Amino acid sequence: MRHYELLVVVKPTLTVEELQAKLSFLKEILEKNGAVIAATLEMGTRKLAYQIDKFERGTYVVFYFTAPTAAIAEVERLIRITEEFIRFMTVKFENQKELDSGTNKLKKSLKKVMLHLLLNLKKLSKSNKKLQLKPN
Amino acid sequence: MAEKRKFARKYCKYCEAKVEYIDYKDAKILRHSLSERYKIMPRRLTGNCKRHQEMVELAIKRARATAVIPYIIDTQKVVAVPFEQLQQ
Repeated sequence: MRHYELLVVVKPTLTVEELQAKLSFLKEILEKNGAVIAATLEMGTRKLAYQIDKFERGTYVVFYFTAPTAAIAEVERLIRITEEFIRFMTVKFENQKELDSGTNKLKKSLKKVMLHLLLNLKKLSKSNKKLQLKPN
Repeated sequence: MAEKRKFARKYCKYCEAKVEYIDYKDAKILRHSLSERYKIMPRRLTGNCKRHQEMVELAIKRARATAVIPYIIDTQKVVAVPFEQLQQ
């Protein structure tokens, strides 16, 4: 059993019920293949960086789970067949450190905030200076 | 000279924030290591350490594949607000 993260991009044209049906279908596949789902994260419909199958937007859903290695190939095969999934990405967590930051949401969000602050600090200070200079 | 001064103080910002794993779904964290045209910035310009640069590279490539960030900025199709989704 290994820890994985599976991201799927679903067509934006589905209704709420259809989307939920597709997601439960995917969950069923995962569980049938021996996966234990730890968490799901629905990121909502967002704009794609580029067109995929003529779609400008897509609904992002992420599953965190543990599964035997053989299950991944089967799940990916079924995702490829299903038309509603326009893109997917399976990521394997290699070690405990990655796992901690991948699944521990609170810690992660805290770290994110810190990083954003650090990365934007310079920009902020620069823009502040500009603001101060403007009245002159 | 101005160009040089921009990158004068070099240190790995990911080390400073003690990042152990870079999530490809978060475009904001990756933005620091991307150029205006969304190319991967070299280590000599960003000051990233080797370890974090490798993590960033992998995350950027995954983000591109899942349409979180673009592969290229198209000069043919110029949009009014090109990075709307990334500014959120």
